Amino acid sequence: MAESTSHVQDGSSTFHADLHAAHGSGHDHHHEQGFLAKYVFSQDHKVIAKQFLFTGMLSAVVGIGLSMLFRLQLAFPDTPFPILESLLGRWAPDGVIDPSFYLALVTMHGTLMVFFVLTAGLSGTFSNYLIPLQVGARDMASGFLNMLSYWAFFLSTVIMFASFFVESGPASGGWTIYPPLSALPQAMSGSGMGMTLWLTSMVFFIASGLLGGINYITTVINLRTKGMTLERLPLNIWAFFLTAILVILSFPVLLAAALLLFLDRSLGTSFYLSDIYIGGEVLHHAGGSPVLFQHLFWFLGHPEVYIVLLPALGIASEVISVNSRKPIFGYKAMVGSMIAIAVLSFIVWAHHMFVTGMNPFLGTVFMLFTLIIAVPSAIKAFNYITTLWRGNLRLTPAMLFAIGLVSFFITGGITGIILGNAALDIPMHDTYFVTAHFHLVMGSASAFGLFAGVYHWFPKMFGKMMNPRLGYIHFWFTFIGLYLVFFPQHFQGLGGVARHYYQFTAFDFMKQFVDLSKYITYAAWIGGAAQLIFFFNFFNSLFWGKKAPQNPWKANTLEWTTPINPGHGNWPGEIPTVYRWPYDYSKPGLEDDYAPQHIPDEDLRYEPGQAPPKPTPAPRREETPSETEGSDNF
Amino acid sequence: MDAQLLITLTKVLLVIILVLVAFNLSMVFKIKSIDPFKNWNATKINAALLMVFMVLGFIFASWSSVKWAPTFTLVTDPASEHGVPLDAMFWRTMVVCILVTIITNFLLFYFSWKYQERPGQKAHFYPHNNKLELIWTLVPAVVMTLLIADGVKNWHSIMAPDDEIKENALDVEFYARQFDWTIRYGGADQELGQTHIKYIDNATANQLGFNYDDPRTHDDIVVTEVHLPVNVPVHMHIKSQDVLHSATLAHFRVKMDAVPGMPTNFWFTPTETTAARRERLGNPDFNYELSCQQICGSSHWNMRRVVVVETEEEFQAWLASQKPSYQAYKEKFENKNTPSEPAPVEAPAEEAEPANASAEDGDDRATVSTR
Repeated sequence: MAESTSHVQDGSSTFHADLHAAHGSGHDHHHEQGFLAKYVFSQDHKVIAKQFLFTGMLSAVVGIGLSMLFRLQLAFPDTPFPILESLLGRWAPDGVIDPSFYLALVTMHGTLMVFFVLTAGLSGTFSNYLIPLQVGARDMASGFLNMLSYWAFFLSTVIMFASFFVESGPASGGWTIYPPLSALPQAMSGSGMGMTLWLTSMVFFIASGLLGGINYITTVINLRTKGMTLERLPLNIWAFFLTAILVILSFPVLLAAALLLFLDRSLGTSFYLSDIYIGGEVLHHAGGSPVLFQHLFWFLGHPEVYIVLLPALGIASEVISVNSRKPIFGYKAMVGSMIAIAVLSFIVWAHHMFVTGMNPFLGTVFMLFTLIIAVPSAIKAFNYITTLWRGNLRLTPAMLFAIGLVSFFITGGITGIILGNAALDIPMHDTYFVTAHFHLVMGSASAFGLFAGVYHWFPKMFGKMMNPRLGYIHFWFTFIGLYLVFFPQHFQGLGGVARHYYQFTAFDFMKQFVDLSKYITYAAWIGGAAQLIFFFNFFNSLFWGKKAPQNPWKANTLEWTTPINPGHGNWPGEIPTVYRWPYDYSKPGLEDDYAPQHIPDEDLRYEPGQAPPKPTPAPRREETPSETEGSDNF
Repeated sequence: MDAQLLITLTKVLLVIILVLVAFNLSMVFKIKSIDPFKNWNATKINAALLMVFMVLGFIFASWSSVKWAPTFTLVTDPASEHGVPLDAMFWRTMVVCILVTIITNFLLFYFSWKYQERPGQKAHFYPHNNKLELIWTLVPAVVMTLLIADGVKNWHSIMAPDDEIKENALDVEFYARQFDWTIRYGGADQELGQTHIKYIDNATANQLGFNYDDPRTHDDIVVTEVHLPVNVPVHMHIKSQDVLHSATLAHFRVKMDAVPGMPTNFWFTPTETTAARRERLGNPDFNYELSCQQICGSSHWNMRRVVVVETEEEFQAWLASQKPSYQAYKEKFENKNTPSEPAPVEAPAEEAEPANASAEDGDDRATVSTR
């Protein structure tokens, strides 16, 4: 460890030198760069983080927009909406969505939200932005690979969007793209060119994830500043670190799955296909197994759930602790639970496959591991709650979103013990009960992590404060909206309503839920529209917001020690040294209710008579109160 | 101009006016540097709202759960033998879910309200407590262990039923394709004959791909409505000819994917006839339904078949009234005594000779009736 930290100390430029000699020196006071190098092909982790954020936001707009469109069909089957025809053209003749395009909508909604918003948008933004700043590094281990990571992601986004415009329509076999449906253009039109583009896009996406993940891991392990031991890492860094490990271990398997699918589609191999009669002919494929694809897919797919969720939980830990003015309760237990969740996430994948024809004995094993995950999850939930207990809670927008996240994590997560139980999964599988479960625990909770992160670190990212009032309004509309959308879906699920249904009218036991669907759709539209408040607030504050103070939330972590608008290299002078863990909030004996990581014990301000044991107390004011007032104002 | 349009226009106009007024006000406040909400305490309001949200949320969730409970087809009023313990386990698990959700959400929102920032309030430095953490590690662990034990027991009894059940079960094939289900019974010999996709031939209406060389196929009955005798175990043979489907019988707690190239199975025992249930529910239109619950293409939502559960006698009578598909095949298409392997290809040409076929047909009918 000593080696690597000293490397950082004296060699902030060395680790870049080999990659781009032009930047070899003077990271602190950056020489002039062209617009392209500074904002487009930037190697600065902060710029790359923002690029991920903006691209992710674009995908979010499209992804949420798609869901609002297909909600219309679910609530008002067969009712024409002229707006649909003008938006979707031939996919919604006379304003009624075409049944196969309905599937395209849900498929692309899932793909965009899971991968492009909650994986790249969340991890890409905050891992990139916070890892170097919070561990005390001048940049990622490799700025160049980091840049490639973004541009691979950008390319993958472009290809995915492009698939909307091909003749046969975008991929429509569900975001899980199970073959044979996804392998055979004869089975559905979306499995033609649209699916090819989907797979191509995912190849670039996976490349992006791997390049990013390797960087995050290397940076956390090797580039921590002096004194930043693993036990002193903020919990969100732990979360990003474990997430990156999940990414580099699981995404390659998706690549393998996609590659084999590509071979089946294009070169006539039979990895997933066997004994198929379709379109009036017997296909030559023999000996393949669709279940094999499911194993490969979910080997990524389940860790993916935690790739999405862990960063959000990490952000919540940080935001809750800062705004409770209390140390996070049970730091070690939090780290331990995250490690346990990360490890277990690799051995539970087949709980998505209890009724796919897989050997029932396997079901038993996977049920066992799946329910064990409830234990570390419970520890995390209780620790969040205990952190709030006897705190001094500042209910900033970020804090509200973090509290909302914990609520979603509990309410949505608890039904996992039903779905993870193989026997109970028999009736529940592929019903709206599943939809409700994962939209709350993975979708809503992670989205709230994203929002909490944006509200919390916006001052650092853009040097401006977001308007808190608009933040509150945004929070309440979104929080209530999401609960109103997804909680009633439990009822639909228990009523047996199946997922991916174009309409519920064909079955007697599902028909009765059309009414409930209407309310859900109203809530979805109101909640969706409320996101405009966020976008307005975001861009308005970005350009015309109040200037941010140095450390608006009085947080302990290192990112707030950089200049308000840090340049490439983050700290103009030396990288600060770390003297304690990041959660010394309201420590007895101290005058301030926080103790930044970079201030040595002897320089903290103590209450009278609480002087530190050994060195002479030489109180030094690290901040004037007026500087930090911003957060307290309504 | 109709009234509807007028109303819509009025609404739009109203919204525009409201937006403009709001915008105007905000500009005035901005220019004059007035903050109309200056005296509002954001912390207090948000904290209070969190409590209000929690209380109303609990009330609304309880009220709506009770209101919708009668529609919970999947967890109330099971119509199969294994559905009874399964539903009981569901509700046991649900009790755990509800308790945990209420307790933890209550603490979350209550603490958020109670410990809202106040002047002079200092947070309590409380970084960890091993005893507490041990408690909320062990309690969930114990609860999970119980649930797992419960689950394993039920899972095994459903997936691997006793040999006795397996031996006495009625074999029924659920054959899926885009976008319908075909149901097959073994007929008089109670055995399902051999089928394979290579024998499929639409021209001879051989849609399941019967290999007519296998005599067991000759009495197989193919229908589009599921009929099941009550209180008799059913062995579902689930097949697909194109993409993944999922044979779902919601009322019977049955679900299993149909996988091309890999037949799957499910055993269950219906316990209430359609007629009895109609009478009990007072709903003469009630039907058990078969659906597909694995995304399979554009008409995935519409793969419906009615399931009729009837008494053993009714079922046998119904079965006897059905004509084996081989008969129809012979009447129409079969040429002399050469059905053979690549038969389907030649079949259309043989349509011209019905005379021979009907002669054999008679024989076959005789065989069926004697069995």
